[in-house]
Formats: sequence, structure tokens, C-alpha cells
Amino acid sequence: MIKSKAKPLEEIKEMLKGYKRVLNTGCGGCASVCLAGGMKEVDGLNTKLSVSFKGDGVRFKVDGFTVERQCEMEFLAELDQMVEHYDAILSMACGAGVQFLAERYPDKPVFPAVNTAFIGVNRDLGWYEERCKSCGDCVLGITGGICPVAMCAKGLFNGPCGGPQDGHCEVDKDIPCAWVNIYERLKAQGRLNNIYKLYTAREWEDQIQGRIVLEAYKSRYVEDVK
Amino acid sequence: MYDLARGPLMWAAFIIFTGGVIYRSVQLFMLTRKKDRSFYTSQSLKKQDSGKYSSEEKKLELLVSFQNTLIGKHPVMALISTVFHFCLFVVPVFLFAHNLVLFESWGFVLVSLPDSVCDILTIIFLFCAVFFLVRRLVVPKVQAVSTPYDFLLLLITAAPFLTGLFAYHQWFDYNTVLIIHILAGEVMVAAIPFTKLGHMVFFFFVRILIGSEYSFGRGSRTWIT
Amino acid sequence: MKTVDTKKIKDMLKMKKARMKLSLSACASCSICAESCFLFMSKDKDPQYMPSYKVVNSLGKLYKKRGKVDRLFLEKMRDLIWKNCVLCERCYCPFGIDIPGMIAFARSICRSQGISGVYPHTLGAPEEEYSKNETG
Repeated sequence: MIKSKAKPLEEIKEMLKGYKRVLNTGCGGCASVCLAGGMKEVDGLNTKLSVSFKGDGVRFKVDGFTVERQCEMEFLAELDQMVEHYDAILSMACGAGVQFLAERYPDKPVFPAVNTAFIGVNRDLGWYEERCKSCGDCVLGITGGICPVAMCAKGLFNGPCGGPQDGHCEVDKDIPCAWVNIYERLKAQGRLNNIYKLYTAREWEDQIQGRIVLEAYKSRYVEDVK
Repeated sequence: MYDLARGPLMWAAFIIFTGGVIYRSVQLFMLTRKKDRSFYTSQSLKKQDSGKYSSEEKKLELLVSFQNTLIGKHPVMALISTVFHFCLFVVPVFLFAHNLVLFESWGFVLVSLPDSVCDILTIIFLFCAVFFLVRRLVVPKVQAVSTPYDFLLLLITAAPFLTGLFAYHQWFDYNTVLIIHILAGEVMVAAIPFTKLGHMVFFFFVRILIGSEYSFGRGSRTWIT
Repeated sequence: MKTVDTKKIKDMLKMKKARMKLSLSACASCSICAESCFLFMSKDKDPQYMPSYKVVNSLGKLYKKRGKVDRLFLEKMRDLIWKNCVLCERCYCPFGIDIPGMIAFARSICRSQGISGVYPHTLGAPEEEYSKNETG
């Protein structure tokens, strides 16, 4: 899922300066799973903010409410009755959730309380590792289920660089070399011919906003230009 | 009847209890495995560690972690539950009369608390039990999951204390009350491993041994999935 | 209407019996888990969203009935374990009972009978959505 991490309190306080009544919204989806923006974190941040602003002698009131997911309008609708009572909204969801919230309430300033980090896996509780850069052109099928875009520091497509030592990345000794792993796995599965082929440079054309419309839904959302 | 309750039945109760607790612990242990461990060096994580706590935030974090404890979230429930379980253990183990029985049987004694203290603790315990009963009857969320079984278990737990109080003060016919007291105690002890009271084993085992968001410490084991 | 393969359910229940039964029997119905569920809190503290309620009335009932359930039972259960729970895995149990693991297992059993969550929940009761999807 999407992994995120709390922003430093000082940064959040800086953003909220001048706002007297703030609604802090949690997200019950990914943000909750990675212990960054669920109800518990909303309550915790609200306590920190209240105590800290009080210490500064600033009038400040913050309430919390957690919805199922902030990347879905239906769930955001639950907040409609609430937001009018607040000067600003704080969101503990990922960047997508924050923006959808800001879109639903365009006249309210919306601030992020967490830094969205990556798409990753749960190694263990509170321990997450990146696995996907959402590059939009998946090659996992030929690389033995190990991503050279996300797992290789240089994002190489045709084997390792000259740097790996004992199977580890030269950029960080704690990270295994993606290409050593890809080689080992394909070898074990007898699929090494997968990577004998040379792959040409990727066209990094997806630097615009990523969009997906499923084929079956095209008739709904895509208009053909004549 | 007294001899039966003091003799074979008591043995039966303690054997069921001890055997049951051992059985449950082994069973739980077999259902878990040692957790894989692999750690990064702090050196390597440094680069990605953007959100370090400031000294002010560290202090606030302490406050927040206190708020997230049972005491912070449910102060009344935490207090009453702690007192309840404290009395549940302390009164029967350190009661003078029980130690006397122990001495008569096996010739040794544990430390004894003054009778007056145990008397007060018993009354406190019974008040806690009443609190749980009322809570079960009137709080909607507790009502929603309460079954006759839950009430029965509360009764099983409270009965030895209630009858013990009667026995100590020699209210009603002492001999009858005493026999009921002994039987009630035996029922409770024997019920622990194989009923909801098994949370005695489960609590220590799971909260300490299995790592989770709420475990005590990091936990060295995990469920086999 | 399809029938329910109770043998399959029984086999599944048996597979995780020791752990699940121990966990179910450890629950003292203390209801302390309630406030740790954000859905419980945001749905006006409706007990139907309480973690222990969801487990006891799904997996708990499956074990109590030893897997002998009909389709209607499973369809009713679907609401409880899909609509009332997002599996965020944040519920607190004083004894450390793995509530999300139990709800996930109840979901697996439902799926083995072709019953699963209907999306999105908010557009109406799953039953309505379900039939709408089938006809539409």
C-alpha cells in the first residue's frame, strides 16, 4: 500500500499559523495501516498541536474525524456538515487524499500532515519497504518479480552497474543489489534468457499526471475526438 | 462432604488448573514461530530519516503515548480492572485462613496479610464485580456482546469471594457456607484454562511474546500463518 | 440461488481451529476494543462496528454452528466483515487477540462460497448493489 510518515510538528504548526479552528481528518485506508494517519494518529497530533499552541499562548482549537478513505468522494461527503465550522482542514492522508479533499472544499485551505513516501510492503509492524515507483510500464514479468526501477538505485534496465559488493548496492550497503537478485531468481527458475535480450531506454513520458481509465469504462469517461 | 471438597475435589481442581495452564501455554507456543529479524544500520537509514522529533515534540510524544495507554483511554475501566485482578490474585493467595489450610496439609506457609486487610480487599473486589455486572447490563456496546455465558463467568469468579466473606464473618450456617465456598473456589480454579477465564494465560503469552502495535516490548514471536 | 458447500467451510474452519478457537475463547467481551475502531467512533458508537462484535458474530458464529450455515447467513455476515470493517488492523485488544486476522479469515471463508464485498458500499445496501451488478 501507500506508505507515509508524519511531518515534523514544527512544520505543521507553521502551516496552521493564523487558523483558529482546524479539522484534522484521518484516513482509514493506507495511512491508517502504516500507522501514519489513522484515528490514533489524528488524536495524537491533535493533542500535540493543542498543547503546543497553548504553550505559545495562541488560541487554537482542533477536532478530529477519520473517514474510510480520502481518495473517494463518497467517503469525503461525510465531512460536508462539519467543514463549515472550521477555518482550515488538516489531512493525514496521502497526497492523493489531500488533493481530493482540497478539491471537494475549494474555499477551505487544506494542509498535509504527513509526507507520502512510496508504494511499499509491510515487512513487519512499523517497518515498510518501497517496492513500486508506479512508473506505468511494468517489467516485473521479465525480471523475475524484482523491480529494477524501484529496487535499483540507478534504475538500470540491462544488468547491474559495476558497483555491487557481495550482492549489495554500492549506494547503500544495507540494500541488496536488485540485479544480483534478479539474476539469482531467474537462474533458479531457468529463465535467464529473459535478460539476455537488450532493452532499450525507457521513454519516461509519464511525467504528466497519471491517469487510468479501464477499457471497459472508456465509453463512460472518454470522448472520441472526430 | 467437607472431606470430599477438601480432599479429592481440591486435588482435581488444582490438577485441572495446572495441567490446563501448561496445556494452553504449550498449545499457544506451538501456534507461533520465531520472528525473522533483519535490521538496517542507522547509518543507512539516516538519509531517509526526515521526520526527526524535536525536543519539544519528544516531550509531547510521551504525553501522547500515555494517552494511548489503557489508563489514558479508559481510566475508570483501567483502575477497576486492575484492582479487580489484583484482589483476585492477592486475597486467596495471602489469606491467613488459606495459609492455615496449607500448613495443615503440607506444613508450610506463605506470607499472610492481616485478616482485616483481606476483608476490605474482598469487599472492594465485590464492588468491582458489581461494576462489571452493571456495565454489562447498561452500557450498549457491552450489552451487544454479552451472553449468559459472560454473566455465568462473572458469577463463577465472584462466588468464592462472596461465600468467603460470608464464611469469614460466620454469617448463616458456617459449615454449609464453608463447603459452598470451597466448591466455588474449586469451580473457579478449574474453569480458568478452558473457559473465557483462559485470558489469564492468553494475556501474558500474547501481549508479551507476540509483537504487535500494542505488545509489551517488541515481541520475539509471531503467529504461524 | 447457489447452495453452500458446508464441507468446504468445515475443512477451512478445521485448518485454523486451534488458533481461532483459542482467540475466540480468550475474548472476555470487555468491549474495550470499541473505541480503537475509527468506524465505531465515526458511526455514532454503533455497537455493530465494535471489533469484538464483528468477530463474534462472524467467525464466532461459524465455529459455533460448526460450519453448518446457509447462504443467507453468509450474506448477512458479509455486511459485518466488509462494510463494517476496512481491515486497517488498528484495533486494540487488552489480551492481544488478533482481531483483523480473524475477520480476514471469515472473509476467506465467505469467498470460498463466492460471496465477497461489493463495492462501493456507500451507494446502497450490498444486496441491492449485488443484484444490480448481476443484471447490469
